[in-house]
Amino acid sequence: MGTFFQADRLVMQFGGLTAVNEFSMTLQPGELVGLIGPNGAGKTTVFNMITGAYTPTSGDVLWQEEKITRLPVQLITARGIARTFQNIRLFNDLTVLENVMVSMHHKIRSRFWEAMLGFSRYREERRRMYEESMDYLQEMGLAHLAEEKASSLAYGQQRRLEIARALATRPRLLLLDEPAAGMNPLETMELAEMVRGLRQKYGLTIFLIEHDMKFVMGLCERIKVLDYGITIAEGTPAEIQKNPDVIKAYLGEQKNA
Amino acid sequence: MDRQKRNLLLNGVGLILLGGVLFLFSRYGSDYHIRILNNMAIFITLAVSYNLINGICGILHLGPNAFVAIGAYTAALLTMSPMEKQLNFIIQPLIWPFSAVQAPFLLSLLAGGVMATVFAFLISFPVFRVRGDYLAIVTLGFGEVIRVLCNALQGVTNGPLGLKGLSPFTNLWWSWGVAVVTVLLITRLINSSYGLAMKAIRDDETAARAMGVDPFRHLLLAFLISAFFSGVAGGLLAHLITTISPSLFTFFLTFNLLIMIVVGGLGSTTGAVLGAMLFAWGGEALRIVESPMNLGLFTIPGIPGMRMVIFSVILMVVIIFVRRGIMGQKELSWGWIFDRNPR
Repeated sequence: MGTFFQADRLVMQFGGLTAVNEFSMTLQPGELVGLIGPNGAGKTTVFNMITGAYTPTSGDVLWQEEKITRLPVQLITARGIARTFQNIRLFNDLTVLENVMVSMHHKIRSRFWEAMLGFSRYREERRRMYEESMDYLQEMGLAHLAEEKASSLAYGQQRRLEIARALATRPRLLLLDEPAAGMNPLETMELAEMVRGLRQKYGLTIFLIEHDMKFVMGLCERIKVLDYGITIAEGTPAEIQKNPDVIKAYLGEQKNA
Repeated sequence: MDRQKRNLLLNGVGLILLGGVLFLFSRYGSDYHIRILNNMAIFITLAVSYNLINGICGILHLGPNAFVAIGAYTAALLTMSPMEKQLNFIIQPLIWPFSAVQAPFLLSLLAGGVMATVFAFLISFPVFRVRGDYLAIVTLGFGEVIRVLCNALQGVTNGPLGLKGLSPFTNLWWSWGVAVVTVLLITRLINSSYGLAMKAIRDDETAARAMGVDPFRHLLLAFLISAFFSGVAGGLLAHLITTISPSLFTFFLTFNLLIMIVVGGLGSTTGAVLGAMLFAWGGEALRIVESPMNLGLFTIPGIPGMRMVIFSVILMVVIIFVRRGIMGQKELSWGWIFDRNPR
């Protein structure tokens, strides 16, 4: 079997600044991997390169035997890599349900004129979109809010809607960018359960960025640590916790004067 | 009775009522009333299709006057008989094949729409490379280019002299028929998942792309559809006023459309319809301010252009105090009127 997902020596330079340097990793189907590091370490930049939002200065992203490095964002999504955003980016003027339905639009077979003239093929597809979207909302515990405007949701609900929306693109790899940011401990615990459940149910591979150490350590099987764009450690949660480089990156060097 | 059947029935009743009103006006209304109603229908067509780009896609497009001009000239050149054309083009003869062809009204209208669409397609590639203010400036430029071309290409447009003596084909049935078809089709598009994708692009283009939406494809779709209906409306306009010249299609026309959709509520089709109706009616009602007024003791001389001052003031008031317009982004629908939980 070939590689499921591989990032091969990704480099991202902004002017003279190297945001990410030689980032490499592979993912096996069904894995749950975490990416951690101090602020400004380049974590989100890695996500942006994988999803096509940035074109890496050098290096390649391989997805199921295909080089997707220079594909536009929407085509990468269509190939089965979905993401959520660190700073929530919902479609605020749309309802919760519509937010999820947008994600299913890229799979639509009906042409625009079939939609305009209300052909039965379109109506059938529309009905399926509606039902499936409601399923995803149910999954994330948002079904009762389906007709609300996305902007009127509470913070934690907005985060969950981001996940529901990403799920609706039917990904095989899901990238979560700080899904627990701003959540209280109870919500964070519930979220961890949800993420586990989603992986099980949809057979997802999940790659996530998170600052909440308890969340990451409890959930992920494997963790990568970035600092100033350089991968400084990789391993199981237990290994990472003991790694002196990681401790140094987070807490600074111990000075023995 | 389920909602779908009820809505269909109510739509049918609404159309019959509209037909009845139009019939009464076409039979007993004065020319003045009929002209206002025709204007209203054409403005509705223009505003609703303009709103598809500016309101639904969230793109500040400032060149719909170009689409209207192209539609108007194409339709006019097609309906005129070769004889009329010879009489019109006195300075420079009309080039072949325009000089020889003649088509029925419906075909001419459609051709006007198609020509506008072709033009929209050609400019879409430079236009959608940019966004925001830059896009506004590019489209504004294209609008001006078309107006200047209308002035300069004497062999096609007869230059500043314009085309005169078009047959007054546009009656209430044509204008309102086109308006109804436009509103129905564009509403359907907006309510479909294509419309959802367009609104998603408006709200957050980056997120829309990450959810698999191709911005260019959807913006182009909206642009072309909007151009088509604007072109058809241009053809109607030409055969309503029977004389067209480049001065009719200046940025002023775009500005008027902008007033309609902003006052009505950017992003709401109902709002665009209301805005267009108010504008058409207000444009006539406010004619008083341009005629001399006798205030008992003294007389104010009429100031031409005063109406536009008032419209501009209204626009400013709307932008400052009711920024979302009459309707905001809401739609008036049967569900909204009759259901407790509209969807």
